[in-house]
Amino acid sequence: MKEMILSVNPHIHDNSSTRSVMREVIIALIPAIIAALYFFRIKAFVVISSCVISCVVFEYLYQKTCKKNITVKDLSAVVTGILLALIMPPALPVWVCILASAVAIILTKQIFGGIGCNIFNPALLGRAFLMAAFPTMLTSWNNPITLDVVTTATPLGLHKFTQVLTGYEPLFFGNVSGSIGETSALALLIGAAYLLIKKIINIRIPFAYIATVFIISSITNKIDPEIYAPALFNLLAGGLMLGAFFMATDYVTTPITKKGQWVFGIGCGIVTMIIRLWGGLPEGVMYSILFMNGFTPLINRVTMPKRYGTGDRE
Amino acid sequence: MKKIIHILSVLTLVSLLSGACLVGVYKATAQKIVDNQKKATKDAIFKIFPEGKDSKQIDKKDLEIFSVTDAKQELLGYAFTCAGNGYQGEIKIMAGIEKDLNTLVGIEILESQETPGLGQEITNQPFKDEFKQLKTEPNIIYVKGEKPDQPNEIETITGATISSKAVVAILNKGIEKVRQEMGEK
Amino acid sequence: MILKEFTKGIWKENPVLVQVLGMCPTLAVSTKVVFGVSMGLATTFVLLSSSIIISILRKIIPNQVRIAVFTVIIATFVTVADYFLKAQFPDISKSLGPYIPLIVVNCIILGRQEAFASKQPVFKSILDAIGMGLGFTLSLVVLAGVREILAFGTFFNMTIMPEGYTKWVIMALPAGAFMTLGLIISLFNWINMKGKESKS
Repeated sequence: MKEMILSVNPHIHDNSSTRSVMREVIIALIPAIIAALYFFRIKAFVVISSCVISCVVFEYLYQKTCKKNITVKDLSAVVTGILLALIMPPALPVWVCILASAVAIILTKQIFGGIGCNIFNPALLGRAFLMAAFPTMLTSWNNPITLDVVTTATPLGLHKFTQVLTGYEPLFFGNVSGSIGETSALALLIGAAYLLIKKIINIRIPFAYIATVFIISSITNKIDPEIYAPALFNLLAGGLMLGAFFMATDYVTTPITKKGQWVFGIGCGIVTMIIRLWGGLPEGVMYSILFMNGFTPLINRVTMPKRYGTGDRE
Repeated sequence: MKKIIHILSVLTLVSLLSGACLVGVYKATAQKIVDNQKKATKDAIFKIFPEGKDSKQIDKKDLEIFSVTDAKQELLGYAFTCAGNGYQGEIKIMAGIEKDLNTLVGIEILESQETPGLGQEITNQPFKDEFKQLKTEPNIIYVKGEKPDQPNEIETITGATISSKAVVAILNKGIEKVRQEMGEK
Repeated sequence: MILKEFTKGIWKENPVLVQVLGMCPTLAVSTKVVFGVSMGLATTFVLLSSSIIISILRKIIPNQVRIAVFTVIIATFVTVADYFLKAQFPDISKSLGPYIPLIVVNCIILGRQEAFASKQPVFKSILDAIGMGLGFTLSLVVLAGVREILAFGTFFNMTIMPEGYTKWVIMALPAGAFMTLGLIISLFNWINMKGKESKS
């Protein structure tokens, strides 16, 4: 018997498939990949290729051994691989990239039932695993282009621990140390604009997310400019652009209702700022999105629109 | 009625037997347990003062402090315990200090529940060695990611800044207390 | 046939991998094999002694207060084990910390008394207790073995990983315990499934 596919209404007729959506996301990530290759050279190439290849291989192997339909062709593993690579520090050894891919594909995605069933964003959980397993490796950074090794000196780290502000121009173009894909706000914004124009993603979550970060950091910067960085710095530094446009807009792990998407974006912004302002870590984008991923089913349930004519009257 | 008596008698009997058994075990082990604790303290003291031969607890109100003497009964310094909050739980430290109360001889971590592999590195020799011959006047300070160049400076452990900071804070507080208590005499 | 009472605890009804009982010590003290073995043996001791006593007393313990009687007996043996470890093995006792007194609330022990020892003759109860205790100890050793090798590069405190091995800090943390346990249980079920397939 052929399996029936059931999903929650409303259903819209559209020609898009997982494969075509994923293809558009890959196209949108090309500027960020180019920026990564430009700033981190061969190291970026090694990290990106090992993540993408191992993600695809793990997906294939898992589905093969469990005798499931092989869905490698839908390109979702490729997207996971690219995103995973973009949030890695440049100097990561290949075996660590392979391990992170295994965690992302097998432990986060396939064990829960494959694409569409995972609770957490696979790429982010892969990084969170590494962060807990190899904290020293994940906080060693390289300067762009020269590839000098530096420790805890991303722009956010510099500001948090030594109160040094990095200039806006290098932050915008990406000539700073950090994860290979997060440094260039410009490249990420080009990709995000493409996704928005193609209507692959909706502006609600990124807008709510970025606006919340902007508002909170404006207020705290007004209170004490010595300790708290200015709003624009908070927007450009760290992984905010990458997280807001490419991770917090993942179809599977974020709310499907309009109201829910606003809640999700604002929640991510608040958690990010709490970690950046008062947490022990300089950056909070990864944990904030993972944290809100956990709330997605609850947000969906609470904000589900009522069917006409049912429900209690106040 | 008969049933209630049955229940009561069984419960009483079981509790009595259990109590008797525990008294026996306690009697047999109590001395050994106290000895073990004393030995652990002594071991820590003599690890800090390798030439130390004898240690005596000095009677102080809320401070556990020992005077340490060598084979010739000469005073080497003092060893004291201090505790405070670490990253995950209480850190208890045994610290040795010279007679003038201005230089640390060394430290031993008695108890800690820090993250294994990170914060728990405070129990490792390289970190403990940083406190050998460390000046405590002015207060101990820490630097991050660079080599210490002051006599009262230590370097924090990479990835375990909070635990390292906690050790420094606990020691500074403990030394202050020692100065107060010992300065009186 | 009587041997089945012994072997069931090790594989078919393994307290950790099948019944999923006693999770608190399983997850908390499985950072190193030495801790796993000591925890497993302490639990086996408590399980065996209480099973013997309760099986002997099974006919005179009134049904209404049986849980209270079980608890008193179990608590007695736990305290004995705690004092013994403190006196003879102070280092192990210190590293296991509160988890030795917490054997009192380990579901494996009360569960075996309620389900087995209070209904079965002494000899069978002894076999059951040893089997369950060994099953618990073995699963702790497997779990702790994986975690110790990855987190510290050692097994039974002996360095087995080559120089320059990168330690997986996560394996010493609770998250590593949950992940390893999940993977071991799934591997266990997979082996059982394969076994059934080849039989039929």
